[in-house]
Amino acid sequence: MILRRLAALLFVPLMVAFGSGVYLYLGTLKSKVVKEHAQLPTVTKPKFVLPGTMFVVQDGRIFKLNAGSFTEIGPAGDWSQPALTPDHTRLLAVARAGASSDLYLLDLGGQIVKRLTKNDSKILDANHWAYYPRVSPDGATLFFSFDSPKLVKAAPGVDLSVWSMPLNGTQSQARRWTDPYWYTGGDVSPIPVVGGGLLYVRHSIDPSTAVHAQIYYQTRPFGTGKALTSLADDCSEPALSPDGTQLAMVCSRGKQTAALEVAPFNGGVLGPAKVLLDSGLYASPAWSPDGKALAYLAPAGAAGHFQLWYLALPLPAASATASTSAAGASPASTPRPTTTPAPLAPVQVTQGVDLTGTSAPAWY
Amino acid sequence: MRLVALTVFCLLLSGVAGAAAYFFPVVVAGVGQTGQTVIIPPSVTLGAKTTPAPAASPGAPFTVLLLGSDDDSKFASDHVLTQSMILVRVDPQSRHVAMLSIPRDLWLPLSSGGSGKIDWAYSNGGPSAAMATVERNFHVHIDEYAWIGLKGLIKLIDQLGGIDVLVTNPVLDDFYPDDIGGGYAFGAKRVAVLPGAQHLDGSQALQYVRSRHNDINGDFGRSARQQEVLLAIKAKASTLNAADLPDIVTALKGEFKTSMGLDRVRSLLGVASGFDLANVQQVVLYAPTYTYYPGYYINGNSVVLPHWNQILPVVKASFP
Repeated sequence: MILRRLAALLFVPLMVAFGSGVYLYLGTLKSKVVKEHAQLPTVTKPKFVLPGTMFVVQDGRIFKLNAGSFTEIGPAGDWSQPALTPDHTRLLAVARAGASSDLYLLDLGGQIVKRLTKNDSKILDANHWAYYPRVSPDGATLFFSFDSPKLVKAAPGVDLSVWSMPLNGTQSQARRWTDPYWYTGGDVSPIPVVGGGLLYVRHSIDPSTAVHAQIYYQTRPFGTGKALTSLADDCSEPALSPDGTQLAMVCSRGKQTAALEVAPFNGGVLGPAKVLLDSGLYASPAWSPDGKALAYLAPAGAAGHFQLWYLALPLPAASATASTSAAGASPASTPRPTTTPAPLAPVQVTQGVDLTGTSAPAWY
Repeated sequence: MRLVALTVFCLLLSGVAGAAAYFFPVVVAGVGQTGQTVIIPPSVTLGAKTTPAPAASPGAPFTVLLLGSDDDSKFASDHVLTQSMILVRVDPQSRHVAMLSIPRDLWLPLSSGGSGKIDWAYSNGGPSAAMATVERNFHVHIDEYAWIGLKGLIKLIDQLGGIDVLVTNPVLDDFYPDDIGGGYAFGAKRVAVLPGAQHLDGSQALQYVRSRHNDINGDFGRSARQQEVLLAIKAKASTLNAADLPDIVTALKGEFKTSMGLDRVRSLLGVASGFDLANVQQVVLYAPTYTYYPGYYINGNSVVLPHWNQILPVVKASFP
C-alpha cells in the first residue's frame, strides 16, 4: 500500500512534466512568421560581399555596409533615405520627428554637418515633410520633395512638390520646380541630371479615377514636364546609372507586384525598357559604382522582411537615341515596349534583417 | 501490465491537459468571439426580396460581410460606425474570391427603418442590421459576418509580423485621427506613408487604410487600399498554422467577433493558403460609375447616392 502511494506521488511530477512538455512543444510549432523578429544588421553577416560602400536604413537607423560587415552610423533618431553628394564626401538624410521631417547633411561617419531645413511647428498643420534629398551633379544644388504649399479647400491638400535650394544656402532660398496633381500625394524622387534637367515621379489620376505613377523629365522650374513612361506602366523609384546613360525603375502596371526594369536614357529621352525581374515586390533600386549591377530591396522568406539583393546586369541596354520614336510616342497613354531577356539570378545579400523599403541604398 | 496501461493512460491524460492549456485561449475565443448568433430582423421599410439563408455545405461558396469600425471613446460600446464594409465571396473549390467595397457614406434604406448612411446600420442594430441592410439593398445572401476594431487590426497585423504592401502613391494626411492611444478622442496627427513596396507594421498599415483627407478618391480610394491590405493579410495568414492561433486570439481579445464557427475559421485559413491573386476580383463602387455625389447634404450629412442599375448587375455577377 505504501509502495503504491509512493509510486503515485512520484508519478504526479512526471505527469506535470509531460503535460508541460507538450505545452512547450506546441509552442515550438508556431510558424516562422509569428516567431521571426528582424535582427540588427550589425549582428548579421551578409551572405555576399558587395564592392564599395553602401548605406542602408532599418527602423530609423542608418547602417554602413563595407567589406562584408555592417556598422551603425549617425546619432539617435528616426533617419531614412540616405543619399551621397556627387564627390562622395557627404551624406544627405531625412530625420523624421513626429509631425515633420527635415533634411540633414552628415559626414560619412554619421556626424551632423548641417541641418538643411527646419519644418517643425507647434501648430500641427504648419509642420512640413521633406523627403527624397538629392544633390545636383555639380554639387551645388539640393533637390527634394516638400509638402508646400498646402491647399486650403473643402479637403486640406497635402501634396509633395519638387523644390531646390543651394546646398550651402538656406531654406528661405528654396524654389519650387513642380506643380503636383493635387490630392494624389504629389511629386517624389527627384534626380537632377547633367545639364540642369530633372527627373522625378509624378502621381496623377486617369479618367477611371485610378492613381498612377509616371517618370517625368523637366528642364526648368515650372517648365512643362515630359512624361517618359506611360500611365499604364506605373513606373517609379528611378535610379540613374553613374554614367547617366541608363535608368533603373520599378513598374507595377496597376498591380500589387512590380517589375524591375532598365531603360537607356540620353538626357531627355528614355529608350525601350528591359524587364530584369518581374512579379515581385521590388523596391528602391541603386546602381553599383561601376554601373554593372543593381542593388534593390525585396522581401525574402515567410516573415516578409525586406532584404538587400544584388543583381549583375547583362549586356548594356540599347541606345536611347535609336528608339526615340518608341519612347516619344504618346507616352502618357501608350505602354512602353519592353523586352524580357533570359532570367537573371539575383543574389540575396542580407538575411534576417528588415531594411526600410522606401530608403534606397546609397552606394559608392 | 496494469501498471504499463495506467502509465500510458496518465501520460496521455497529462499530454491532453498540456494541449488543452495551450489552446485554452482559442477555446475561450471560440466561445466568446466566434459563432455569434445572428438573427436577421424582418424588414421594416424595405420591400426588396430577402434571400433565404441556406446552411452552406462544406466546400460550398459562402459570403462574408467584413466590418471594420472605430472602437474608440467617441462611441458607446457596441454602437460604433463601420468605417469599412467589404463583402467577400469565397469559392473554396474554384479558389475564386470576389471583394466588393461598399462606401460608408452610401445613403440607402436601413433594415431598422428609415434611410441613412450605411455605416449607421451596425451602429443602430449591430451585425444583424448591417447584414440585413446589405442583403436587402444589394439583393445578395450573406452567410457570415466578421467585425474587427481599429486596435484589433493593428494587433492582428503585428501578430502576423507585419504585411508587405506596394503603396501606389504617397498617403499624406494632416488631420489623421489620433484616437488610438487613449488621449483626446477627437485629436489629430500628421501621417505620411511613402510610395513603394514596403513592410508595414500594424500602426503603419492602419494609417494606410484609414487616411482619407488627401485622397483624390476620398473614401473610395481608402476602400481600394483596404482591399490591398486585406489581400496582404491573406497572403501572410496563409503561412500560419494551428499552433499560432492562441497568440492571435489572445491579441484580438475584445477586438474581433464573427458569426463563423471555429471550423469555418480553420477551413478559411486552409483555403487562404491556396488562393492566387489572379483569382481575386476586386470591385470598389467608385463615383461616378456606380455612385454619385448629389451636390447637397441630406439631413446635414455628406453622402453618396447609388446608381442601382449599375451596381446590381455587378453584384449579381460577382455574388451569384
